Amino acid sequence: MHKRRNKAVAFAAAVVSTALVLTGCSAGGGTPTDGGTTNVTFWQQKFEDYQGVWFKKYVDEFNKSQDKVHVDYQVIPADTWTQKLQAAQAAGKQPDIATTSYGNIAAGVVNGQFSALDDYMPAESFSDIKDNVSSFVTIDGKHYAYPMLVEPSTVLYYNTDLVSAAGLDPNSPPTTWDELIDWSTKLTSGDVKGMTIASVAPDIAWSSWGLQYNACGHLPISDDWSKADATDPCYDKLLDLYKSLYQGGLIPQQPKVGYADGSPYGAGEVAMMAGGSWVIGQLKADYPDMYAKTQVAAFPSIDGDPTKPTATLGGWTLTLDSKSKNPQAAADFIQYLLAGDPAIMADFFKAAGYSKYTVRTSVDEALADDPDASADPFMQTISEKVVAYGKQEPGYPFDVALAFGTAVESAMKGTDTVEGSLTTADAAINDVITKQGLAGTAPQN
Amino acid sequence: MSAVAPTETITGQVAGVTPGLKRRRAGVPRAAKHLRSNRTAYLMIAPMVILLSIFVVWPLIYAIYLSFFKISFYKGSEFVGLQYYMFVLQDPKFWNSLLIGIEFAAMVVPIGMVISLLLASFIKVLSKRLASFMKVTVYVPAVISTVVASVLFVFMYQDQGVVNWFLSLLNAGPVAWLNNPGTALPAIAVPAIWLGLGITTLIMLAGLLDIPNSYYESAELDGAGFFKRTFYITIPLLKNILLYLFVTGFTAAIQMLDLPLIMTNGGPVNATTTPNLFIFNSFRAATPYATSFSLTTALLLFVALGLISVLVFRLINSDKAVDG
Repeated sequence: MHKRRNKAVAFAAAVVSTALVLTGCSAGGGTPTDGGTTNVTFWQQKFEDYQGVWFKKYVDEFNKSQDKVHVDYQVIPADTWTQKLQAAQAAGKQPDIATTSYGNIAAGVVNGQFSALDDYMPAESFSDIKDNVSSFVTIDGKHYAYPMLVEPSTVLYYNTDLVSAAGLDPNSPPTTWDELIDWSTKLTSGDVKGMTIASVAPDIAWSSWGLQYNACGHLPISDDWSKADATDPCYDKLLDLYKSLYQGGLIPQQPKVGYADGSPYGAGEVAMMAGGSWVIGQLKADYPDMYAKTQVAAFPSIDGDPTKPTATLGGWTLTLDSKSKNPQAAADFIQYLLAGDPAIMADFFKAAGYSKYTVRTSVDEALADDPDASADPFMQTISEKVVAYGKQEPGYPFDVALAFGTAVESAMKGTDTVEGSLTTADAAINDVITKQGLAGTAPQN
Repeated sequence: MSAVAPTETITGQVAGVTPGLKRRRAGVPRAAKHLRSNRTAYLMIAPMVILLSIFVVWPLIYAIYLSFFKISFYKGSEFVGLQYYMFVLQDPKFWNSLLIGIEFAAMVVPIGMVISLLLASFIKVLSKRLASFMKVTVYVPAVISTVVASVLFVFMYQDQGVVNWFLSLLNAGPVAWLNNPGTALPAIAVPAIWLGLGITTLIMLAGLLDIPNSYYESAELDGAGFFKRTFYITIPLLKNILLYLFVTGFTAAIQMLDLPLIMTNGGPVNATTTPNLFIFNSFRAATPYATSFSLTTALLLFVALGLISVLVFRLINSDKAVDG
């Protein structure tokens, strides 16, 4: 009888354990408080390798520096980020702190996803943020994220050796889109293409925001997000630019990597490249020979006017989840990492090869004595000619951006005319506005 | 039961009772045996029923329930009735993805089946040793991960890849196989056919080996050639196997995710956005709308696939299939 009961208990235990294993149930990432120590989870989207090293170093230092809060740091691959985050949110196991891009803050606030940091961090932390960046994270007077960096999305890189060999002057880079096509044509030779730029809709969607502003002075949606504005004729020339580059065989017909990756330029497969400022870090680290013969310039403008925007200012922040059980502990970590000792962020920009821009006055002061930071000629050019005229990333749902990106790709690859592509995009954006109820929800900073 | 059983004889008669009662009592053990058999059967299928209930039936019912809500993990879900069904059905990208799925399946399944039938017919006539070698060779792609195959074929399709190298021998190309809306889907269909060849060929070979040789010998005596034997003997007698391979192949192909995700991410201009990739890409947006939309799309795809399978069965008329 005793044996039979034991067997029954063992069988029941086995069934329950199997069910738990099969259903993926577990105790989660740790209890909120554990023997006097408060545990908080921090998810970082995977970026360049040096960023992971920097995050790990300072998470460890934070954990060692005190025994009240322990940060559980996890790196999540970019291509699975949303799925993992949504699955965690559905299961109530979302991280307390997460990396969030400027463009996702507004939608997150509407959805109630973030807590305002003003309730947990000292006011002087926010006064240290530069004025133009502060608006990126502020909605209705409250800060829903703490900014980490700013980086312009589009800069022109060119190989001075190839430019000289083609009889062009490296000191007078193209300033109009027509000149850009002319340069690309002259620089295309054999297997080396004259240029590379985003050529698939998801990449075009975000990397062309600056050029959309450049062409029309606005994005393809009204300021209050109540109706589409993609059929404005000024966009025709933007689509023609992409179409000429692709159909003229001036850019790789089958790009091996996405827009954010500068390796085709680094490997010498193209003579010019449209890329974000972050590519400077990649060139310094992985392609020092190419870096030595590279120059940067603002991306050409539709009509040569250098004061028109050519890039949006994107970047990353840390946000505090509104369902966090330990918001103060999580905010303490954000305060330590991004808003505390300026030397911590200065160390980050040093590791990045000064390929990104600071967001705090005190960090600028900490870097002022570093000759490498102030002497970088690329960053000076980008700062004066790109960042100065850059626009904030839009906060509307990515579906809107994707509709316009698809229009550009459609015109490039000949599945529709320029006008037809823009008409389709206009209808698609209006559809997004209606179904997602966007009208009147544009954030007012 | 135990009190009655000892009085039973081998023939089921019970000593000392009237014939009428005998018949009734004789029925008791038969019913009990029947119940015992049933109980054993139920016990045997219970694990599968329980697992299916946990992992298929309950999630499906819950998913249908959730599809009536705009799901928010932060603000509470809002009941919206059939609104998301309307949103999905009104979305041209949803219908386009279904068409692409059907087009992809129409390329992969028939071509794959014809090649498999030819290969299986070839392997059947080989010596035992050679046949073993061929079976292993043909099956190798089936054990290769689709991720590995995707990367491999992406390299093959590059401007400097082996496919364009062959074209260059003919003074043609290079062709942007994966970045041209006209060639991207067929370019993805090729690795799909290659990956599915092994299992399809082996199943067909098993079917071919079940067809008695005497049929072929008689046909040969009557002067039937390879094609006549194939059309009048092989294909009719393989009808059930062909139907099985067609339906399972079609539903698998229409649901293809890995190859277009890795090779083209659904592009260029949505030319390779299969239904599952459409759902996957919808879910990548971090909004309550995207969550509800992708869930409802998945349910509608489930219905669409069921309808397509029913249609295929109707068209091929499986109930009249000849059993070899």
